[in-house]
Parts: sequence; C-alpha cells; structure tokens
Amino acid sequence: MFDIFKSMIKEEWRMHSSLFGHSGFALFPVFIFLFTFFVSLVLPVFREIVTDAQIALGMHYIFLLVGGMVGAFGLLGREFMNRRFGQASLIAYSSRVLPVSERFIFANFLGKDVVYYFILYILPFVAGFALAAKFVPAGNFGASATLLTLLLTLSISFMIGISAIFFLSTVYAHSGKILLLCLLAASLLLLHISGNFNQGTLYSLPSLSFFLVPSENQLLLSGVLILVPSALSLIFLKIDFPQAQKSFSNSFSKLCRYLGSYRYAAFVAKDSLDLKRSEGGLGKLIFSFVLPLLLVWTLLSALGKVIPALSTLTLFALVLGVLSSSMYNWLTEYDIFSSYAFLPLKASDMIKSKLNSYLILNLVPLVILTLLALKKDPMFLIPSLTLFLTISLYMVSVLVYLTGLSPSINLYNGKIFALYMLSVMPLLMLNIILSMFGPYYALMDLLLIPVALYILGKGFRKWDRNECRCF
Amino acid sequence: MIEVKGLSKFYRQTKAVDGVDLSIRKGELFGLLGPNGSGKTTMIKMLTGQIKPTSGTLKVHGINVLEDPLRVRELIGVIPEQETPPSFLTAEEYLYFVAKVRKMEHYEEACEKWFEFFDFGDQKTSLCKDLSRGTRQKLMFAQAFLHEPELAIIDEPLINLDPVMQRKVKDFLRGYVKNGGTVFISTHILEIAKEICTSIGIIYRGKLVYTGRLDDPELQDKNLEEFFLELVGKRKGISKDILEESQKGISALA
Repeated sequence: MFDIFKSMIKEEWRMHSSLFGHSGFALFPVFIFLFTFFVSLVLPVFREIVTDAQIALGMHYIFLLVGGMVGAFGLLGREFMNRRFGQASLIAYSSRVLPVSERFIFANFLGKDVVYYFILYILPFVAGFALAAKFVPAGNFGASATLLTLLLTLSISFMIGISAIFFLSTVYAHSGKILLLCLLAASLLLLHISGNFNQGTLYSLPSLSFFLVPSENQLLLSGVLILVPSALSLIFLKIDFPQAQKSFSNSFSKLCRYLGSYRYAAFVAKDSLDLKRSEGGLGKLIFSFVLPLLLVWTLLSALGKVIPALSTLTLFALVLGVLSSSMYNWLTEYDIFSSYAFLPLKASDMIKSKLNSYLILNLVPLVILTLLALKKDPMFLIPSLTLFLTISLYMVSVLVYLTGLSPSINLYNGKIFALYMLSVMPLLMLNIILSMFGPYYALMDLLLIPVALYILGKGFRKWDRNECRCF
Repeated sequence: MIEVKGLSKFYRQTKAVDGVDLSIRKGELFGLLGPNGSGKTTMIKMLTGQIKPTSGTLKVHGINVLEDPLRVRELIGVIPEQETPPSFLTAEEYLYFVAKVRKMEHYEEACEKWFEFFDFGDQKTSLCKDLSRGTRQKLMFAQAFLHEPELAIIDEPLINLDPVMQRKVKDFLRGYVKNGGTVFISTHILEIAKEICTSIGIIYRGKLVYTGRLDDPELQDKNLEEFFLELVGKRKGISKDILEESQKGISALA
C-alpha cells in the first residue's frame, strides 16, 4: 500500500526537478523560508495598519487558495501535463493499467499532495515566520504554542482547499451541468451572505476560527470539511471528464484580416484565441487581474492614511507594473517552443510575438490607471503612466531574460527565482522611497527603458542559443 | 539534397549520433531504420537545425544548416516525432497559422485540399486538443506538405494512422517522389521501409551501420527483417543461433 504513495512522492519530486533542475528546485522551500522571514520582519509596520486577526485571516485564506490551486492543477491540469510531457503520464492517470482500484490510487494521490506540499510550502512558510518572530515584536504570534497551532491550522486550510476542489472535479467528471448548478447555488449563497455581510463572516473559516479561539467544535468542523468532500469524491470517483467536442468558426482568419499586414498578426491572433478559449478566458482577466487590483487599491488607500508620506496613486502605478508582468505568464502558459521548432522560426521570434501580445494586453491596466489618475489627481497622470510603463517593461524584460518562454516553470527554479528577486526588489524599494519625495521622481524611471531594451536583446540571443528542451 | 559528413551529437557521456556520413540524392525516398533510442530523432533534429551537432557538417538543399537553419526550414517540410499543434486553435486555424508563418498567399485552397485528402469533415472546426492522436498526425502531415516543399523530413510517418490512411499516405509519398520530391523518413517499422523506400540506412547506437539501395544484391538474397536483426544482433553481441532460438521460442508461443 505504502509503495504507491512512495512512488507518487518520488514521481512528484522527479517531475518538478526535471522541469526546474535538481538543485534549483531543492532550493525552492529555502526561498519560501527566506522570503517569509524577510517579509515578516516588517510585521510591526503591518501591525500598525491591520490587526493580528486580519494577518491570520490573510494567511489562512492564502493557504486555502494554494490548496485549491494544487488540487486543480493535479486533477484538472492534464492538458498542461500533456503539452509538457507528451505521451508520458502520471501514476494517478494510469489506474486502468495497474492491478489496484482507482479509489485506492486517488486516496494515495490526495495523501501525497498533502504531505508533499506541506514540506514544500507550509513548513518553510511557518518556519520563516517563526524565525522572524524572534527578532521583531510579533505580539500574539511570538509564542511557540501559537506558532505550532498556526502550522496545524494552515495545513487544515490547505487540506480544505484540496478536498473542495477534489469534490468539485468529481462533480464535473459526472456532469458539467451539475457543477454549474452547484456554482450557481454557491454564488446565490454568497450573495445572500454579502447582503447581511459583516466582517465576522470571513472569520467563519473553521481553521481560522480554531486558530483564533481553539475549540473542539471548530476542529471537528474542519475535519468534516476535509473528510466528507474527500470521501464523497472517492466513493463517486470518475476520472474521465466529459469531453464535449466544441466546434469553432474560423476566428483566426477574421482576426488576421483585422490586424492587416502587422508583422506578428498571426501570433497575436493565436494568443488572443488561446486566452479566449483556454480555461478562464475573460474570467482570467477579471479574477486574476482586475479583482486583485481592487484589493491592492483598497490596501494602499488604507496604507496612505497611516503613512501620509506615501502617494497612493504612485504606489498603485508601481504595483500595477509588477502585476502586469504576470500577463506574460498567461501568454506563454500553453506554448512550448518545441511545438514550433520545426517551422522557420527562432525562439526570439516567438518571444517577440508574445511581447507584442503583452503590449496589447497592457492597454487594460493603462486605461485603468489613466481613469484613476484623472479622477484622483490629474497632476499625477504623466508620472504614474511613466512609472507603470517603465516598470512593466523592465519586469517583463527580466522575466524574458531569466525564463524565456516558460516563466511559470523556470521561476520555480530556486536560483532563477533568487536572481529575479534580486533584479527587481531593490528597484521597487527605491521607487517606494522616491515616491515619498513627490510624483515627478518617477520620471527617473525613463532610464529603465534602455536598460530593459538591452536586457531584452541579451535575452533574445540567450534563448536563440539555447537548444529547445523537448519534454 | 542532403549531405552529411562526420556528424556527431554527444550529450555528456551519451553518444546520440556518432560520426555519420550520409548522402541522399533528389528523388529518393530514404528510410532511416533503427531500434528505439538509436539516434534517429536526434539525426532529424540536426538536419532541420533544431539542435546543433557536436561536430561534423551538414547541408540540406545545398545550404549549410548550421549557418542558416531558418532558410532550411523555410524550404523543407517537417513532421516531428510528437504531434503537438497548439491546443486552442482549430485544425483549420492551425493550417492557416502555419501558412501565415510560411508567408504563403492564397493558402485556403491548399488547406482545403489537405482536409479533403484526409477526410477531416467536421473535425477541421474542432480544437486541436480535442482531436485524436491519429487526426493530429494527419494535421501535422498536412502542415508539412502545405507549401509543396521539395524535401520532406518525417519522423515515424504512419504512427497512429488507421490502415486506410496508411495506404493513402504511402501512395502519396510514392507519387511525391515520382514527381521529383525527396523524402527522408525515420522509422523502426521495417515493413514501411520495405514497401515505400528506395534506399535505407540502419543506425544503431548512434552509428550508421549500413546504407544502400533496397535493390542492393546484398539485400535481395535476404528479407529486410533478417538482415536488420543480423546486423543489430551482431553488434549487440547476440549470435545468430540465439536469434534463431528466440524466433523458435516466439513461434512456439504463437
């Protein structure tokens, strides 16, 4: 019984280390530890703005989300896996050729995810936080018992996230329509709750409640939220998802006609269809970009009240530049160069085409920032736009140089992640400090344009020299 | 059409391709045969400029592949080992995309011709990710010949295709060569080579251990399978007796 579990752990490790490099991936938990440690050192500043309970709330919801993401990738990410690994498959998807039941294999799959990601994410996160608590006044978080409870409750949050997604994926495997009804019911429930919304609602996540006020009931409820969806999913397990073959009219030609003789017309048309037809589509833009921006604006507005020297609009432009660079990940998510290597194309052609699509996508944040600046203070318009555009360009140039066409994979390599952080963090810190001296200091960021172009040029040459890794 | 001299590709300790000399003339249908992992795909990737050799020279269409791989890929058609068209384009959109990348004009008719040839029907409006592997292989075949290249390089041409389509593809390749085209295929399925190739090469552990025409007197006396097993078996250190014994064993099992 234990053999399958061990093999799955080995498989997960080898999958990651083959993608990100052995030592590179082994360093990843170390970087999570260091990152959490350094971020937690500014805990006293945060505690001026938010309460301990609000910090705990953020942590528990982050791990709930991480659990959901890990579960979604493991269970629904077959398309991504197929593109990366071709015909190779994971043990979880090979149950038909093994003399054990699918239930048994998937129970092991869940157990593996919990243990593996506990070591990879949760343990280094809490360790980094615990170490920082020794150096700065950490209030309620300083006590050893609290930190141990945090380790337990963050793990519970993570497991609730995984089991919820496991349950939803099982419902989806039986019927997409039932899943849609479930989501509709959940939305109605949320709407009802938000009608009578009070802050307490957010604190009803059992793992968080247990952390704040330990009680048997909350622990029991957490257990129910983990075990019941998992058990139901295992009982009604179905591993094949409904594959309704959809037909599409030729939108590619229409888009190409619209883009005319533009050099990268075919690629931009393809990228826009990828975004539209892949999981998420327009929802990706709303949930992964616009909603986080709203949250950032709210937080920065609160921060501006506590530290009046900070300019909310300038800081928002800075964060917008950083967040926009994540759009490059969306554009490269479903492509690997080996799918194009046999055509008369260089890796740099592909990167340039992605950058063209990136520039077009950047129009969304550009419009948001322009409207916001015009509404808040038109004096800030030019400096904010300069800051946003130069930071976005610089961030994407670093991303291109370090990760090429696979940012979502290469950034998991510890060394690359460290280089990325070292390349961007000092610049961001400098900009935060400069923003305190007035908006026009942002114009200094124009100096980033030649730097970014130089880095891009180096990146193109680097990835052209690099032989494509065909997984 | 293809001139290769002293071609090698080493990955650390592994000699994927080791000192290969090869010359393929216009109008040939050349089959590179070899067991799994013998270096066939590495050869194809070097010929198409996807990876650089450790040493040696190679010319395709008279162009030095190392100096101008893009020009080579412009002129030739390639079907790679794995059929991986972009997931979220339909079959039709993918062919249009390839035509645009190849800067073709008036490609709609050529695309339609291939959809008819492979009997795509409604499937041309399905997303590539939803197509069966056989259909994806057909799509890759169509993209390789869309611009009517003079040379096509194909890794395992008939894999995943049903017998009807296999027959169609074989007939097409024969006709294509008859009309002056050149084809380089790699395969480990000897029957394919026997049926359609005009000349073959046998690669084993990165070394080209045999090249010759299929009407070579050395091959005329034996069947290709025996010849291949003998050649590879010898190098694997397996004696003829053992091969015969194993064949007897297989017959007994059957």
